[in-house]
Amino acid sequence: MKRNNFLERLIGEFLFLFLLIPQQIQAQTDTVKTNRYIMRTMMYGIGTSNIYDSYLSPQNYKGIDFRISREAMRFTKRGKGKVSSQNFLQANFSYTHNRANNNNTISGLINWNYGYHHQFPISENFKLLAGGLLDMNGGFVYNLQNTNNPASARAFINMDVSGMAIWHFKIKQYSFVLRYQLNIPVIGIMFSPQYDESYYEIFTLGNTSNIIKLTSPYNQPSLRQMLSLDAPIGHSRIRFSYLADMEQSRINNIKTHTYSHVFMVGIVRSLYLIHSKRGKPLPPSLRVY
Amino acid sequence: MSLSSYNIMKNKIILLLLIISNLTIQSCIDGEQYDNTPQGNFEQLWTTIDEHYCFFDYKNINWDSIHTVFSKKIETSMSNKDLFDVLSDMLYTLKDGHVNLISSYQCSYYDAWYQDYPHNFDEDIVNDDYLGKASTDYYTTSGIKYKIFDDNIGYMRYESFANDVGNGNLDEILEYLAICNGLIIDVRDNSGGTITNATKIAQRFTNEKLLIGYIEHKTGTGHNNFSSPTAINLKPSNSVRWQKKVVVLTNRRCFSATNYFVNTMRYLANVTILGDTTGGGSGLPFSSELPNGWTVRFSSSPILDADKNQIEFGIEPDIKIDLSTGDTMNHLDTMIETARKLLNK
Repeated sequence: MKRNNFLERLIGEFLFLFLLIPQQIQAQTDTVKTNRYIMRTMMYGIGTSNIYDSYLSPQNYKGIDFRISREAMRFTKRGKGKVSSQNFLQANFSYTHNRANNNNTISGLINWNYGYHHQFPISENFKLLAGGLLDMNGGFVYNLQNTNNPASARAFINMDVSGMAIWHFKIKQYSFVLRYQLNIPVIGIMFSPQYDESYYEIFTLGNTSNIIKLTSPYNQPSLRQMLSLDAPIGHSRIRFSYLADMEQSRINNIKTHTYSHVFMVGIVRSLYLIHSKRGKPLPPSLRVY
Repeated sequence: MSLSSYNIMKNKIILLLLIISNLTIQSCIDGEQYDNTPQGNFEQLWTTIDEHYCFFDYKNINWDSIHTVFSKKIETSMSNKDLFDVLSDMLYTLKDGHVNLISSYQCSYYDAWYQDYPHNFDEDIVNDDYLGKASTDYYTTSGIKYKIFDDNIGYMRYESFANDVGNGNLDEILEYLAICNGLIIDVRDNSGGTITNATKIAQRFTNEKLLIGYIEHKTGTGHNNFSSPTAINLKPSNSVRWQKKVVVLTNRRCFSATNYFVNTMRYLANVTILGDTTGGGSGLPFSSELPNGWTVRFSSSPILDADKNQIEFGIEPDIKIDLSTGDTMNHLDTMIETARKLLNK
């Protein structure tokens, strides 16, 4: 199994370190535990964004999108070791322009996903993952010319269904990993002012009726999908990703969409935890600080 | 789990993901994107006002017939300036000072709400004969000019509610004027600003929470799609509060946030509104834009008085009085003089 070969090599390196560890903790770390293996990636990206918010303008705004993301995946002890967790945090900033190119909006969103996937091996090198994610979002869109409706707040929480396909393959002696992931919100809640309700009425006068709405694919048909390729470059594994972030809503007669297509790149780090909450820490001579 | 049930579950999950993703991809949410042509800009403007403007019924405006009239004036080859003029003329039918069309070279502005009435304010007389020299005769803070007249009447001149007022500034002003027998607040020619400033000042003149009005907002595109009114209450300030008589001076050029301020002050026990009817402007304005990037501003949320009456066309004073020509000739401001007599009674 090629993936396991890679894993075993990494874990072997860690085991080599273990030989240096005093005898009293060897007894607790002499077995490789898959739930301590973590894939962690920090990525940076740039792309395009198309933003529409009828609360601010009937025009589409198009421009540039800057994005940063941090992802960690690891196996858990759930489902007899076949369930993995994914922790994905991303933040983006967009600077967009109207069609006439005489007005701009700035926008930002922080998105945090956390959830679990059941892993279904199809072959030695290919597996499908299916599961669910908690999908939390907070951000804003700011129109630089508007007066009493200059900004639109973004705040929504969803439960997503999530699917993933992971394929390990080799070209000559080089091993690659291709992954596709699709997250689709199925139910959630979203903040939205009413059609022409001012934020003054909501936050100064305290009229909060109907500003939190239940969402579903009917009024929030959205998806996030990512295609990534992990490639060995030198001694590192570099991840190249294409992220399509398609967020839409139709709440309180206000329509919004944010379509982002972003290319991202980052370094994949594979870690093996040798200090769990229940285990003993490494001796000071082996710690980095 | 057996191998067959494992495969069935796997296939079901894949099928579910495909169905949901297909539904999601097929339902794009977007607004109609009109062409950046004279016709496209006209249709966008008419539709924006049709779907968002809040006073159609109150002003008895037939917006469909406005479309019929003005669409005939739109020509494919017309210049931007001609288009601007036609669109501005269409907006003037709304009779609303909060409605503007803004391009890089012009801002349309409906001004009949004050142009057709007596001005009732002579800035030179107020500055030269009442306030005097800025260096020696009066104080200024947060855009408020204030002094004590010879007959021990305090005077505050506030020219724009766009000038932010701090609570510390108000403390200083009211403490300085505390020895006075009464206070004149002159908001003539004040064409508005932010409601927050109006509220901050009015809070200094009440000892109890008072209902001063309501606000509605549109909940949909229909002309009558309004929310139920939300009460607007004035809460007393926790800091220095004025306990003596007050006269608020008004003219037709009191608009928007100033109209809101006058509406608030008229519900207070020791306050008299003196002068002319205010200019109105009770719709909280929103902004939108056209395909060519011109900005349009319009009233979207009407603010009502405490009896749920519209105040879009202004608020009548408790004492109606105009500047007299004779007083003006003698460098006297009729409204200030009347207020001083009232406060010294």
